[in-house]
Amino acid sequence: MLLKSEKRRALLQSAEPGSSLGRDAFIRLRKNKAAMASLFFLLFVALIACVTPWLAPYSYEGQNLDLGAVGPTGEHWLGTDTLGRDLLTRIMYGSRISLSVGLIATAVALGIGVLWGTCAGYFGGRIDALMMRTVDLLYALPFSILIILLTVVFGRSMLLLFLAIGAAEWLTMARIVRGQVLSIKRKDFIEAAVGMGLSPWQIMVRHIIPNVLGPVIVYTTLTIPSVILLESFLSFLGLGIQPPASSWGSLISGGVEVMEEYPGLIIYPGLMLSLTLFALNFLGDGLRDALDPRSSKD
Amino acid sequence: MLIFLLKRLAQAIPLLLLVIICTFLLVHAAPGGPFTSERSVPPQVLAALNAQYNLDLPIWQQIGLYIGHLLQWDFGPSFKFPGRSVTEMISTGFPLSAELSLYALLFAVILGLPAGILAAYKANTGLDYGPMTVAMLGICLPSFVLGPLLTLSFGIGLGWLPVTGWGESSGDKILPAITLGASYAAYLARIMRGSLIEVLGQDFIRTARAKGVSEFAVLWRHALRPALPPVISFLGPAVAGLLAGSFVVETLFQIPGLGRFFIQAAFNRDYTMVLGTTIFYAALIFGCNILADLILVWLDPRQKLHD
Repeated sequence: MLLKSEKRRALLQSAEPGSSLGRDAFIRLRKNKAAMASLFFLLFVALIACVTPWLAPYSYEGQNLDLGAVGPTGEHWLGTDTLGRDLLTRIMYGSRISLSVGLIATAVALGIGVLWGTCAGYFGGRIDALMMRTVDLLYALPFSILIILLTVVFGRSMLLLFLAIGAAEWLTMARIVRGQVLSIKRKDFIEAAVGMGLSPWQIMVRHIIPNVLGPVIVYTTLTIPSVILLESFLSFLGLGIQPPASSWGSLISGGVEVMEEYPGLIIYPGLMLSLTLFALNFLGDGLRDALDPRSSKD
Repeated sequence: MLIFLLKRLAQAIPLLLLVIICTFLLVHAAPGGPFTSERSVPPQVLAALNAQYNLDLPIWQQIGLYIGHLLQWDFGPSFKFPGRSVTEMISTGFPLSAELSLYALLFAVILGLPAGILAAYKANTGLDYGPMTVAMLGICLPSFVLGPLLTLSFGIGLGWLPVTGWGESSGDKILPAITLGASYAAYLARIMRGSLIEVLGQDFIRTARAKGVSEFAVLWRHALRPALPPVISFLGPAVAGLLAGSFVVETLFQIPGLGRFFIQAAFNRDYTMVLGTTIFYAALIFGCNILADLILVWLDPRQKLHD
């Protein structure tokens, strides 16, 4: 324990005098090797995903039925699937879909959660009780089942997937933000802002939300993997991304059917998905330690 | 305790009604309309649907009648398969799913809790980092990746365990249960560790040690019970997750459970089956949450004051 606190003090002191909170946090994050490795891995995956249309060696739907499924070769680095489609290309295109679902649905969750939590925390009293009670009640709902119901009723579309997953994931965000807002709104500068006649909306947007960003960033990093997981889960079941487009989940589901003959078709996309989830979780833990040293787990 | 239970029920029942009404309206509003005969529905199904849902009545009366049937444990006929009722599919499929979830839960508890306790007790040593790294792996390997990997290695590669079916050959329940339970074991270990570390740092533990209580008794008699509430509050929703996760595992291992019926129904757009199963799952999950709350109150009676 002693060692830990000394280490932390050393880390804190290593921050330059007078540097900003964000800079401090970045310096602490840079010392965390696992988190930095995760960050670089994620940046790499994201970069590849961005330039995939120009970089991909083949088209994601281009079939080559004469070839069929083959193992890794010089032309197809990770081999091909049963329709002769290049696996590397499909994983690259899949990462575009998986990552964009992760980002967009998380943004939806972020928007709803931050606004809801800020309003509940700021107004307090009965409004707070009502809003948080709603969150408690929604927590009890079986969301993955409801999302499947939605895909049955409205058909399987990307937009629905974004919105439904986002709407399912905002609850914890709202709770975290509310807790933070409750402690911040008693601070003097909020009183000053009220005294200067700012409207609640201005106070929330300009003074409260910027001050809860730390925990929000941390939790956002941890929401992205659970969103990606939910999307892969749905795509694996065949209820998410529809062929010929591919996401990691649908690639894995395709691989399961032929895994005895061609284990590579499940191993490579599975590895990609797991590594990404791993990196996001490590980065989230690292960011939590960097942005909010008090709440770190040790 | 009874008052507490009644209070919880008083919250859950209106919510369940709300879920029923919303899902019913949603299915009713489906583009193309599940209950309009725009597609070729077999005539006897249409007749049964008409009898069941009284399609000529105003929608509120239809919902009322549907709820009335639900109370008599009648989920109505299947929309896609003439002659099969949703009730029948639920009562044949659910016992299998429940058994699978139970084994998975047992696996998670038996593996996860001791690992978490060990990690907390030996915090910041190899015995902490080792299990916690494995736990992180367990969280990042979703069941639809872990399942095929287990199948490939233990089923096909080594040939130790059968890879499909349920109760047909000996040992065919092992792989599905492990696949479903692994990530919950991982979460349980992390939660148990975090909670126990906090308790072990408190004054009454120091006092117990100062009194000369053996380390074993400190852990089992003093520290464990106050460390359990976060674990229990995780387990309520976890049961919900196990049921939802069983969709994947039942599909992977070809187990004819309710999860597989549900996914098939979702594919076939079997509206009444999806509607009935959703409501059934929702009711089940509310039940699990209430049970978890009751156990929490039993573990820590102060909980009652918070409501």
